[in-house]
Amino acid sequence: MASAFATSSGHAQTLTVYTAGPGSLSKRLAAGFQEKTGAKVDVFQATTGKVMARLEAEASNPRADVLISASWDTALDLDQRGWLQPHHSANAASVPAQFKSDNYVAQGIAALGIIWNTGSGTPEPKDWSDLTAPAFKQQVTMPDPALSGAALDLLLGLQQARKEEAWKLLENLRDNGMTVSGPNAQALTPVLQGAKAAVFGGVDYVTYGNIAKGETVKVIFPSSGTVIAARPMMILKSSRHAELAAKFIDYVLSEEGQKAVADAWLMPARADVDARRPLFKELTVLPQAGSDSDSATLRGDTLKRFNTLFERH
Amino acid sequence: MKNLSLLAPATLAALGVLVVLPMAFVVLQAIFPELGSGSLRQPFGAVSATFSDSATLALIGTTVSTGLGVALVAACLGVPLGALRAQFRIPAAALWDLLFLVPFLLPPYIAALSWILALQPNGYTAQLFGFHLGGLLFSQAGVVLIMGLGSFPLVYFAVSRGMAAAGLRLAEVARVCGATPWRAFWRVTLPLSLPAIAASLLLAFTLAIEEYGVPAALGSQAGVQMLTNAIERRLADWPIDPPGAALLSLMLVALALTAYATQRALLAGRDYETTTGKPTAGEPASLGAWRLPVCLLFGAIALVAVVLPLASMLAAALSDTVSGGLSAHNLSLSNFASLLDTGGEALAALGASLSLAAGTAVLAAAVGFLAAWCVSKGVPGAALIDACSLLPAALPGIVVGVGLILAWNQAFWPATPYGTWGILLLSYSCLLLPYPVRYVGAAFRRISHNLEAAARVHGASASRAMWHIALPLALPSLAAAMLMVFAVASRELVTSLLLAPPGLQTISIFIWRNFEQGSIGAGMAMATVAIAASLTLMLAGLALQRKAA
Repeated sequence: MASAFATSSGHAQTLTVYTAGPGSLSKRLAAGFQEKTGAKVDVFQATTGKVMARLEAEASNPRADVLISASWDTALDLDQRGWLQPHHSANAASVPAQFKSDNYVAQGIAALGIIWNTGSGTPEPKDWSDLTAPAFKQQVTMPDPALSGAALDLLLGLQQARKEEAWKLLENLRDNGMTVSGPNAQALTPVLQGAKAAVFGGVDYVTYGNIAKGETVKVIFPSSGTVIAARPMMILKSSRHAELAAKFIDYVLSEEGQKAVADAWLMPARADVDARRPLFKELTVLPQAGSDSDSATLRGDTLKRFNTLFERH
Repeated sequence: MKNLSLLAPATLAALGVLVVLPMAFVVLQAIFPELGSGSLRQPFGAVSATFSDSATLALIGTTVSTGLGVALVAACLGVPLGALRAQFRIPAAALWDLLFLVPFLLPPYIAALSWILALQPNGYTAQLFGFHLGGLLFSQAGVVLIMGLGSFPLVYFAVSRGMAAAGLRLAEVARVCGATPWRAFWRVTLPLSLPAIAASLLLAFTLAIEEYGVPAALGSQAGVQMLTNAIERRLADWPIDPPGAALLSLMLVALALTAYATQRALLAGRDYETTTGKPTAGEPASLGAWRLPVCLLFGAIALVAVVLPLASMLAAALSDTVSGGLSAHNLSLSNFASLLDTGGEALAALGASLSLAAGTAVLAAAVGFLAAWCVSKGVPGAALIDACSLLPAALPGIVVGVGLILAWNQAFWPATPYGTWGILLLSYSCLLLPYPVRYVGAAFRRISHNLEAAARVHGASASRAMWHIALPLALPSLAAAMLMVFAVASRELVTSLLLAPPGLQTISIFIWRNFEQGSIGAGMAMATVAIAASLTLMLAGLALQRKAA
């Protein structure tokens, strides 16, 4: 009880980390780091949308030292706003170049796919467009890209790769009765009980965790290609514990930290740490937007178009 | 504190921090959109953009129609049951009263999540009986029904108590003068209890428009967006829009205040706490041949409103996997075991919620007691103290949360509770302050002023008289209020989600986050533990009250 109350932010050796799920991973990294350095880690864990909202609401009075998001795009955006400070971790040497830059580096990587309930009585889908078939009428859900960073990455990736065809696909899904609901797992929940048959664009690691628990669901990576969502870690310029923050990034990229990432069913960022699941090299990956000069506008416009398509305010 | 002249200003200052400050910042933010960057430029700049948006009108429409729908459902269930309870000897009446208290304990968001698991396609009813009500559940009607099932006990208790207190004696007179039982009911009992019925329906309406959890849980699947959800979305989802959140907050407060003021006006001069003391001439009548049908009616409603959601919650908590469904080999205590081994996370959440609830009970009781005492003594500023201390009864949790963020997340404060557990203590205390104010206020109205005066005549100082006379006499009411505050604070959802600092989880956040991450079983196991704890507390509270009386 006492520890729950010892959260005042004044403590010099307390690092504040804002992170998108999974919650169990952030707890384990915080505990491991505390054991190594003696520094306490206060974690605020929520969806990417909520984490970013809190960061922005606190802009004039910043509190977070380290941010871990589930959308690569958020790192590009914050970098352009000049909110990040550089850190070159020695442990990042074996992280592939596409997953690091001066100011941010991947913690781990998720892939998006179709999450399908094997007991749903529907034919096993092979590609995104299979979900527009009559067999999947009213049977598909999708995470809300405004809340789920990974779903936003999928939307941007599909749009980048297929242009108008991507919107045609979404329109067909809408006409087939696809619902858009909440962050990742909220879209997954109805599929677990069998109320829906499949998730369009669910993150894989949550599902691998569920499969390990014994749930009868399956992750399918569409044949025409999917996107991978690297989860960027960054140190905020406003951090008053920059040194400690750098140590934390180093810890997450250490073998021990990357092992914890792998145990959460993510692909580790480091190529030399084994994953417990298929790696992105084995998947068909859509070409993704690079460091676009106006990614914030692109994201805003894409979200707006998506919300209009699905009539959301 | 020999001299009590400082007490009124001190109470006012406490109310200023708890209640006025957050509301003032909501108003400031609504007027000055660039308040966050410390600028007062472009006053009223966000007003036209927010109000010209057709979505805003749709939000208000959905909010009001949902509130009216909930009041209607609560009336259809609560009025007949309450009237039967007051007029007749119902078999096992104490059991029904106890069962209908349970919806107060069951946080609406947990009820909604339980109903989803029960009624969605392939849910528990589909597995057991082969039908599902997914279409109804994920619609505005579903949202209304779930909230109505949660709030009808308000009407039930108001009607049964109101009728017993006001109606029976006069109805007896009507009968003596030759009226038939039906005529006595329609012409005497019902009109006399109409204000109580109307007031309880307005309360159900107010609670419905302030509810965040149910529409958020049924979420976008239901396509129902209420003002509370829109406010939360504008402040807690990227990209944020604080001026929009503040403007919608003001609209919601205006709606809630209107309903609340109407309710107060209806009840003015009718204090049900005191009228129960009147001698009742007539015994409730016997049901005769209607015994069985009436019992079946009570049983059916208790089954739907109480047993079904609790059973669904327990089924999910006791299932190893969700896709495994209801089967014997899927039965397991693994979810309860996982509460113990997630690195102490669940226990820390329990500890945090219980400590915060205890702290809130003490703080709200202290401020509430002083406010009620100031009002009963008619000190200068008593009217202001009364208004400020009861205002939170009409303030939606989401608005208080928005106000606290806007007020304390500013760069100019040398020290701020924002980012610590203190901010949750402030928000719970603000929201729950009306409980001690009302309970203690009612007690003071029954205590003669002569008692304290007598102490003063014998030379006791004013503070000594308060400490030794007023406080002990009001203590049973104060204790009951503290228990209520504790029970509600330990389950509060929306301001906890908005305000909890990094590193702190409450019970409600733990359950909500587990649902967000697909760990339904763990969430429901925690919900079961929390509800068992508050049921124990409530039974203890009832026993305590019986002892005091």
